[in-house]
Amino acid sequence: MNDLKALWLTAKTDSLPDSHQMVQLIKKFRNKKLLKIGALVLAAILLTATMIWVMFVYKSIMLTTRIGEVCMLIAGIILITTNLNSLLRFYKLKECSNKEFIQFLEQTRVRQQFYYQKTQVVAMIFCATGLLVYLYEGVYQNTLLCIIAYSATIIYLAIIWFVVRPRTFKKDGRKIAEQIAKLESIAKQIDQ
Amino acid sequence: MMDFEELYNQYSPQIFRVCMGYINDPEQAKDLTQETFISVWRNMSTFRNESKISTWIFRIATNNCLRAIEKNKRITKVELPIHLPDVPEETQEEKLTFLYNCIAELEEIDRIIISLMLEDLPQAEIASIVGLNHGNIRTKVYRIKEKLAIKFREHGQFE
Repeated sequence: MNDLKALWLTAKTDSLPDSHQMVQLIKKFRNKKLLKIGALVLAAILLTATMIWVMFVYKSIMLTTRIGEVCMLIAGIILITTNLNSLLRFYKLKECSNKEFIQFLEQTRVRQQFYYQKTQVVAMIFCATGLLVYLYEGVYQNTLLCIIAYSATIIYLAIIWFVVRPRTFKKDGRKIAEQIAKLESIAKQIDQ
Repeated sequence: MMDFEELYNQYSPQIFRVCMGYINDPEQAKDLTQETFISVWRNMSTFRNESKISTWIFRIATNNCLRAIEKNKRITKVELPIHLPDVPEETQEEKLTFLYNCIAELEEIDRIIISLMLEDLPQAEIASIVGLNHGNIRTKVYRIKEKLAIKFREHGQFE
């Protein structure tokens, strides 16, 4: 074993950045990351604010429009809170052993599966219903416009629901299932 | 509390070697080392001396390694030839590559344990990094040593 230890220590480590370079690298990384998160949060806030603003500026006469606005707002809030929550879980993670970390990752993947199977579906139902009822006030007086607007919206929603979502779900779902299986096998290695 | 640069100078070579033992690819090991120290920098203020600072850093590093499977990082596994020709004078570098390849054939947790052992960490500290009790770690260490010995014997290396 001592021979192996001596051999192990011969690994060349001079390709690593020195401590000053590392500090520079971290600062650059931190700024980039903060900017990315900031932009994401800002975009979400702007979108929500715009929707609320439209609700107050555009005085709708029909209840369906209000229901539509509220439904889309709910969908937005569901997506923002779940995404923000999953982001914060990693930031809140305290010091932990490999065993605890593997459990945390497994939990994360199970939550992700739940998100795809349940949360996302609920949000999409709210969003689609919202969009469909919201449109009504704008087009109900013109039959042709009504048919065109509703056909286009329904085709769009059908593509998202029957083509885009199953495709991404199939790809990501398989990846998540593989990761869960891998994490389970590592957890077993610790318990053996 | 040590400052970051001191920590980096002291631990980065060790962390690099451990990551290299796990991932068997110098570029990815370098990335993992950097990611480890980014986490160290970010969490330094929350470190409360509940464990040794080395335990804390090695936990971050090994958890990062385990997370590499999520980022689809490939673990380089090189098939070892069945019969290596008898080369009387092998270079140090070749011997080291052989060691890395043998470790790469082990399971994930075993790779972490052997890398920490080769860094000369006490078994109690390895147990606390991995999340095992002391009895378990002793059994595991014994098994890993056996597995490695078999591999070396099979290939006629380091008799």
